Amino acid sequence: MKDVTFGQYYPANSIVHSMNPAVKILLTIAYIVAVFMVKQFYFLGFAACLLAVILITILAKIPFLKVLKSVKAVIFFVLLSAILQLLFNKNGTPLWKGGFITDVGLLTAGFITARIVLMVLGATLLTLTTSPVDLADGIETLLFPLKLIKFPVHEFALIMSIALRFIPTLIDETDRIIKAQKARGADFDSGNIFKRAKALIPVLIPLLISSFRRADELADAMDARCYAGSKKRTKYKKTPFTVSDFFGLVFMAGLIVGVVFLNGFII
Amino acid sequence: MQIVSKDLVYTYSEKAKALAFRALDGVTLTIPEGEFFGIIGQTGSGKSTFVQHLNGLIPTKEGNGQLLVGEFDLTDKNTNLKELRKKVGMVFQYPEYQLFAETVFEDVAFGLKNFYPDLPQVDVEDRVKQAITTVGLDYDKIKEKSPFELSGGQKRRVAIAGVIVSRPEVLVLDEPVAGLDPVGKREFARLLKTLHATFVKTVVIVSHDMDFVAEYCSSVAVFSKGKVVKVGTPKQVFEDRVGMREMGLDIPVTEYLKDALKEKGVILDCDLSVESFTKAVAEKFAKNKGETDL
Ligand SMILES: Nc1ncnc2c1ncn2[C@@H]1O[C@H](COP(=O)(O)OP(=O)(O)OP(=O)(O)O)[C@@H](O)[C@H]1O
Ligand SMILES: [Mg+2]
Repeated sequence: MKDVTFGQYYPANSIVHSMNPAVKILLTIAYIVAVFMVKQFYFLGFAACLLAVILITILAKIPFLKVLKSVKAVIFFVLLSAILQLLFNKNGTPLWKGGFITDVGLLTAGFITARIVLMVLGATLLTLTTSPVDLADGIETLLFPLKLIKFPVHEFALIMSIALRFIPTLIDETDRIIKAQKARGADFDSGNIFKRAKALIPVLIPLLISSFRRADELADAMDARCYAGSKKRTKYKKTPFTVSDFFGLVFMAGLIVGVVFLNGFII
Repeated sequence: MQIVSKDLVYTYSEKAKALAFRALDGVTLTIPEGEFFGIIGQTGSGKSTFVQHLNGLIPTKEGNGQLLVGEFDLTDKNTNLKELRKKVGMVFQYPEYQLFAETVFEDVAFGLKNFYPDLPQVDVEDRVKQAITTVGLDYDKIKEKSPFELSGGQKRRVAIAGVIVSRPEVLVLDEPVAGLDPVGKREFARLLKTLHATFVKTVVIVSHDMDFVAEYCSSVAVFSKGKVVKVGTPKQVFEDRVGMREMGLDIPVTEYLKDALKEKGVILDCDLSVESFTKAVAEKFAKNKGETDL
């Protein structure tokens, strides 16, 4: 159970890791925009994006395999859309006489695959180099404009970081309860779907109860330390805008310009 | 059922290389049937990991050593885990967190019904009643209550009843007295002794409470860094003061007192139990009194 590493943050000491999370989120969005700006069949733009991913991975001191693994999660989706294109795209000319796969179909399948894979790779770099807590912090910063319409941004971010904080705890707890019920002969792996769903009750109820207990305890602990909402709270961990953030911005601007430029060439 | 472990190895998160942690690093240990067997060791030494192997909650892989529990070979993939768990009961730390059913009766009967689905209802009631009484609760008063409206101590008893109801031959307990007050601890020890005298043939108990271990265990194994570094009677194990200190382990209070008396020139010959200690002191006292009277 613990093998499920949530969020997949990969700790390392690199300039990418130390960047401001808010800036990183913005840059990731910019990167995804860049991927989408690549005009249909102008594959050179994708090459530029791939190059960017490789560069960032090296800078972040992350093993390539770790980044590539993220594709595994979407592989089914990618294959499905590629195959659908191959089989049903009737534009262009058939690859062989009387064949049902056309050249446009093949190119479109490749194009879609490249787009999804590159998108996932970029998003993965964000979660690999930013801890969940920093992510929540970054989102809080970015949601700042919503404060103007009285949206409780700080509370929202707090809820998010508490939820993230408790995921490993809940995984541990689930593991413990499953073991305890297994020791009492509970069987989670056999029978039809209804039987299996029913077998989960002895796990879910204790889990729910302990979550409520934890929530209560946490609320008490926060009360005891006089925690009060967002008004004039300072941050323990400051994330200033640094040189690496500046370079990040320049880098991403370069990528976007590059993609626009490469959109003029077709191979 | 005798428990034989040979060079048992276990690595957590084996697949994720960066997170991999070898919690058991060649555990060789034999626990004969009939023992009240204690397992001690510093936190993180692999005690919980080891005892969770005993009923297959953590699977043993081929090439990771051997583990035999009675006639069950845990390295064999085809071992019937349900049969094994019927015979090896397991009480975790804070067992009260495993309660889930609407009534105490149902919760206690859960394991029994899993293990013996064909048991007639009268027998189920019989056994549940017996289990609840054994843990010192009033069956008629408590059986229809929700387990969540009980006190902490009562919850823990109900949870333990839910384990012993299927009458395991081996009872494994992982720090069961954590968070109990001294009286609760003593009552719990008495309960274990009662069980040990009836259907439970072997007790394996992980504990940080050295007084408890000294008083009740017939043998003790000391874990350190995923290995068993010492096995023997509590007396033999606690005798090695330097070794115990090196492993960051405490000694029973009677041993402290014996050491203190020794410094003052009084040498006692006694076991680790409080009773034996007080007896030895009383004898010494009587003798000395006689001498000064002369
Ligand atoms: N699910 C897990 N995933 C990864 N590592 C684990 C896991 N459970 C335990 N460990 C590690 O394995 C080692 C042994 O843990 P174990 O729980 O067996 O220790 P223990 O002797 O029972 O300690 P304690 O006295 O604190 O209960 C510890 O260093 C722990 O960090
Ligand atoms: Mg433990």
